[in-house]
Amino acid sequence: MMLFFKECKKILRSLTFLIYCAAVLAMYFTQFHSDIGGPLEKPAPGEDSYGTIVREVPEILMPVAINCLVREYFSGSFTAYPYGFIKHVRLTEKEKARMAEIIAEVSGITPEQLDSFDAFEQGGYYMDENGDMAYLEPNIPEISIPSDLTYEHFRDLMRKADKIIGGGSMYGDGFIVGNFSRIPKTYEDALAEYDQFIDKDKVTGAYARLYCDYLGIVLAMLPVFVAASLARLDRKSRMEQLAYARKISSARLVFTRFFALAAVMLLPLILTAVIAHIRVKGVYAGYAVDSFAFLRYVVFWLVPNILTASAVGMLVTELVSGLLAVFVQGVWWIASIFSAVGGLTGGIRKFTLVMRHNSLLGHDVFYGQWTDIVFNRSFFTVFSLLAIMLTAWIYEQKRRGMIHGLTFKSSHKNTERQPKA
Amino acid sequence: MGLRLRAAIKILSVNLRHNFMPHLFIALVIAFLTQALFGIASLDAREAAQPLERLLSLTGTVLLTPIFLPEQNEDIRDLIRSKRTNYLAVCALRLACSIFFLAVVMGSFTYIMQCCESAVSFRHFVGGFATALFLGSLGFLFAGISQNTITGYMVSLIYYMINFGMKDELKNLYLFSMSAGSFNEKYWLLGGSAVLMAATFLWLCKASRTV
Repeated sequence: MMLFFKECKKILRSLTFLIYCAAVLAMYFTQFHSDIGGPLEKPAPGEDSYGTIVREVPEILMPVAINCLVREYFSGSFTAYPYGFIKHVRLTEKEKARMAEIIAEVSGITPEQLDSFDAFEQGGYYMDENGDMAYLEPNIPEISIPSDLTYEHFRDLMRKADKIIGGGSMYGDGFIVGNFSRIPKTYEDALAEYDQFIDKDKVTGAYARLYCDYLGIVLAMLPVFVAASLARLDRKSRMEQLAYARKISSARLVFTRFFALAAVMLLPLILTAVIAHIRVKGVYAGYAVDSFAFLRYVVFWLVPNILTASAVGMLVTELVSGLLAVFVQGVWWIASIFSAVGGLTGGIRKFTLVMRHNSLLGHDVFYGQWTDIVFNRSFFTVFSLLAIMLTAWIYEQKRRGMIHGLTFKSSHKNTERQPKA
Repeated sequence: MGLRLRAAIKILSVNLRHNFMPHLFIALVIAFLTQALFGIASLDAREAAQPLERLLSLTGTVLLTPIFLPEQNEDIRDLIRSKRTNYLAVCALRLACSIFFLAVVMGSFTYIMQCCESAVSFRHFVGGFATALFLGSLGFLFAGISQNTITGYMVSLIYYMINFGMKDELKNLYLFSMSAGSFNEKYWLLGGSAVLMAATFLWLCKASRTV
């Protein structure tokens, strides 16, 4: 226990931890705290707009999707997200011919008409002669959806189009409804969402999710700096050899450091979570709130982020260097941030490092992914523990002189030097 | 003069051989990831700004932050202090070398985008370069002040992160303005980079006098 407190003290005094605290507090106050202006208003009947909602309505979806497909065909480039990132796919002549057949079937525009149409305007943003951004409307032939085209057949054709593009396009099953079928919310829809906010989330549950959404962004990255910096301290003060010579087991030392990192980095979160709870409770005076929602969400949602980034920091620093640890975690973080293809809500998958749910509403959307979320958080917790076990093993090998970073020494050298009896 | 030039060439060549290559390699990996993950073909002007500002700009952090890295080893630092050559002049040469390669990486990437029929112009190059330079200068400043390269990376990346959610608060120092259709912020970023670099040298100059 003494060692744990010693490590905590070391971390608390480090500059990287102070910067970590400043970043967490800045994220909290600028992003979340400012969002708690006043209570969420209950929707009233007869309002102009209640926002939009994704709902599969063939009459809305089909014309919008066909329009987009025709525009992309003429532009010669199809937008897709095969790995979560935007890609512009160009088709071969053979693929283009197959795509033209699909377009003919859904839009009534024959392949010959597609070939002969030369008034196409790409549209979109461009930089004009003054260096300012301007927008140009696209120009495509008139679309006439055949009356005998059923919705099921249309979806089959869109799946084929997606396959031709290489998957991950706007016409695949994963994206087509969300992309092309947004409808205005009704009063009843808005009221049902509000009721879930009050009754199921008990107000603080929804705010705790939003809090974790914001803080989770920085917590998937920043702990790697604190962990790498802690590992560097021994080297900088030339204490490495002294630490190696101590009696304590490698596993105990490494795990103690790991838990000390996690415990200390949890402190600013506990502080901000308490402030957030008090603030939300004050804004919603008279409502029944869940007193443990913030604590529950912090432990379940944010702690795995801290553990993962710390574990990567400790493992890669021990094996190679702190800079590589930052690079590895940085690439992972960026990949996770940019691959939020489901938008800021409803896009949580089994292996999403940075989980997003940027809304006070959408209780059913969040819990609709519950199985994936539980798997996700358990996976990252187990991953970090395994990474720390590996770190402890590497540390032990270094102590024995078997490994020096990535340089391996022969294990026979020492025994060869032993004098023969 | 001839001696000084020869010394400068020697410093640059040692820097390239012993310090710079791993960082240049990581910058090239970022450039490769940018084209592989974002896609750089057939983008309009605003779309084309996204890979340059949102991912390739991190090459600035990677190339400019580790200028002081060799002296993180205290034995090397002691040795450097005992030399006649001014340490700050060595750092300035390393910095110039990093800025040159940053411009090469950014320029080559922009040229490849143009070859892939994206609507990029010289402004895209300048905008991307200014963003990367500012991020790098932030890392350079904090690595210099704290004598800890990890701190430099940390501050630079925190600034990069907050740009995703604080566009209005950052005003003229917003990094992704070109993707949002505005170029004016880039002049501020270029000016800001010069200020940050000058501040670092002033700090180090003052610190070296007090040692």
